[in-house]
Amino acid sequence: MKKRLIVLIVVLSLLLAACAQPQQAPAPAPTPPADGGAAADTAPPAGEGGLTFGNIRLAFVHVGDPADMGYTYRQHRGTTDMMLELGIHPDQVLNFFNIPPGGAADTAILEAIEWGADMVFATSFGHGPHMLEAARAHPDVNFFHATGDLALDAGLPNFHNYFGNMSQARYLSGIAAGLRTETNVLGFVAAHPFAEVITGFTAFYKGALSVNPDVTMYVMFMNAWNNPALEAQIAQALIDRGADVIGQHADSPSAQGVAQNNGVWSVGYNANMIPAAPGAVLVSPMFDWSYYLTYAVYEFVTNGNVRTDFLGSMEPGGQGMVFLSALNPNEGVVAEGTAEAIAAAEGAIIAGRNIFTGPIYDNEGNQILAEGEEWTERQSAPSWSYIVQGITVIE
Amino acid sequence: MDIFINFFNAAVLAGTPLLFGTLGEILTEKSGNLNLGVEGMMFMGAVSGLAAVFLLEVGLGIEIAGALAVLIAIAGAFIAGALGAFIYSVLVVSLRTQQNVTGLALTIFGIGFGNFFGEYFGRTSPIGFMTVSLSARQGFSNLSIPVLSDIPILGPLLFSYNILVYLAVVIAVAMAFFLSRTRWGLNLRAVGENPATADAASINVTRYKYLATCIGGGICGIGGMYISMVTTSGVWVHNSVQGFGWIAVALVIFATWSPKRALVGSLVFGGLTVMRFYVPLGIPMQIYDTFPFLATILVLIVTSIRQIKEHSPPAQLGINYFREER
Repeated sequence: MKKRLIVLIVVLSLLLAACAQPQQAPAPAPTPPADGGAAADTAPPAGEGGLTFGNIRLAFVHVGDPADMGYTYRQHRGTTDMMLELGIHPDQVLNFFNIPPGGAADTAILEAIEWGADMVFATSFGHGPHMLEAARAHPDVNFFHATGDLALDAGLPNFHNYFGNMSQARYLSGIAAGLRTETNVLGFVAAHPFAEVITGFTAFYKGALSVNPDVTMYVMFMNAWNNPALEAQIAQALIDRGADVIGQHADSPSAQGVAQNNGVWSVGYNANMIPAAPGAVLVSPMFDWSYYLTYAVYEFVTNGNVRTDFLGSMEPGGQGMVFLSALNPNEGVVAEGTAEAIAAAEGAIIAGRNIFTGPIYDNEGNQILAEGEEWTERQSAPSWSYIVQGITVIE
Repeated sequence: MDIFINFFNAAVLAGTPLLFGTLGEILTEKSGNLNLGVEGMMFMGAVSGLAAVFLLEVGLGIEIAGALAVLIAIAGAFIAGALGAFIYSVLVVSLRTQQNVTGLALTIFGIGFGNFFGEYFGRTSPIGFMTVSLSARQGFSNLSIPVLSDIPILGPLLFSYNILVYLAVVIAVAMAFFLSRTRWGLNLRAVGENPATADAASINVTRYKYLATCIGGGICGIGGMYISMVTTSGVWVHNSVQGFGWIAVALVIFATWSPKRALVGSLVFGGLTVMRFYVPLGIPMQIYDTFPFLATILVLIVTSIRQIKEHSPPAQLGINYFREER
């Protein structure tokens, strides 16, 4: 009896292991679809080593999980949109989720290389050093790092950075906030005190300031990208200080709900957060990562050459790598004239207007940019990290 | 004064999910079961409480009124938390597996359970989020009690919270009464202190362990539901419970296994976690984040120096009971 039980257990566990395998372990040699995908016909294989859309292998190292309905969801959505666009078969794509910077990232990148990835993508700023190291050690594999800032200086032919100019959409969402606020105090739930985050909330504030010269803003940092409870607590603390529009650089919609419960307003991020707090969310600035992924994979396969540093921008009609969700359609949520004000500013920004144009002073009164002086970034990852006049960071 | 009231309110709101978790774990540990699966049970409660209201609303195509939504969510969360604890009880009490390992396994299971169903229902939802109607959310908003809420200072300080805060306080008081003033409470404590003696006194050790663990798990589940319904305002957020369960386990020690002290402990812990947003001390924020844990260490040191019997854990905590080894 006991023996039979043991045998049964062994058989069952083997069966289970066999069932679980295909999702976990790297898939065996991909069988390219017979027709080679829709786009393969239009783009003849010309890349190095006879790469085609039917045989290229792509690996993605994500910092989170698409279930966050925010950053990683949008990143993964970019992948699936790109696959549809170029006719890439799911067998040709290997995803790693919930990979924080550190040893886990090294392992995931190595697994991707051993699986035979031609292009390895990583999505979090902290993945940078791991990607750079792998690029040095594996010159035959190409690496693409979103939000990073190491590629230009590294000067490796197989290491690339890409990002979207989120400041543009943040500036426009700031206009909605500046017109909406009644207390003239904004609050911002900020992730880490990194340049990317500071650039983002500065753009948001500048947008509000452009339509409301009396507006000021409080900022509190979380020291995390994603911590729903902390996001809610900070939002409440900001509202307690008098803020009546809450912006965020955080991954979850929990601050938006706090705004709704307090009868104030908010601006989302990464996902269209209006359904999460229909009475509070004015608008959400968002990324369309498929914009870059389609470009990169297409260029790589057709001529083997992708720009070392890529910055995507807003384009007319909300088609760019960065865009603004639709305004909240519920009556009385967005202030009157918001759509017109945003449309006017959007036109100027798409035409090339720099949001970071002087005079700009920091919050101690020092002049950062003189009248008419423009702040230009040397690469896709932003580096602005001054706290400008009107913003108070609460530590 | 306003700042103090806001700080106190935020401390209570931050402390309430911890209080539920702590109370549930105190009841569990009083039976001698060290269930480290609090985090898992809170996740299960968080997703189930929310899902119960969500599924009813979607399935019937209606908006559930606030008070009813509260009852449905409490029931859903309690059942899910108790179910997690039931799995633990079967393994630990009946099959006598090692308690720490089983509790950790329950944590891993519960986190997966919560995030899986949260994601699943979010994907099936027509709007992309697993969320409940505004009328259901109304049930979890702050109460405005006639007369009481209008008292200056005391009103906002004591009578301005959502219904679950008061439920937690009622459970704490009831549990304190149960443990120290009723025969069943005495029996339960006997089971935790010395199950062999309790057994000899014809107390059904197995039944007490099962019931205390499952009810305790249910209370933990309500704590999880507090996070999904109040903290994140009735929207499922991936990984929303994130560590609350572990702090609750630490708080049990902080409260020295007393429901009354758990009230104070959760308020202090809640206060220390939100302190940096309300009390500027001009120190780096990372130092603020250590305060709750420094407080735990301090309490551990003080209680171990004072050596008061009342403050010590149940004698047989974490040890399985074999009748044959008596």
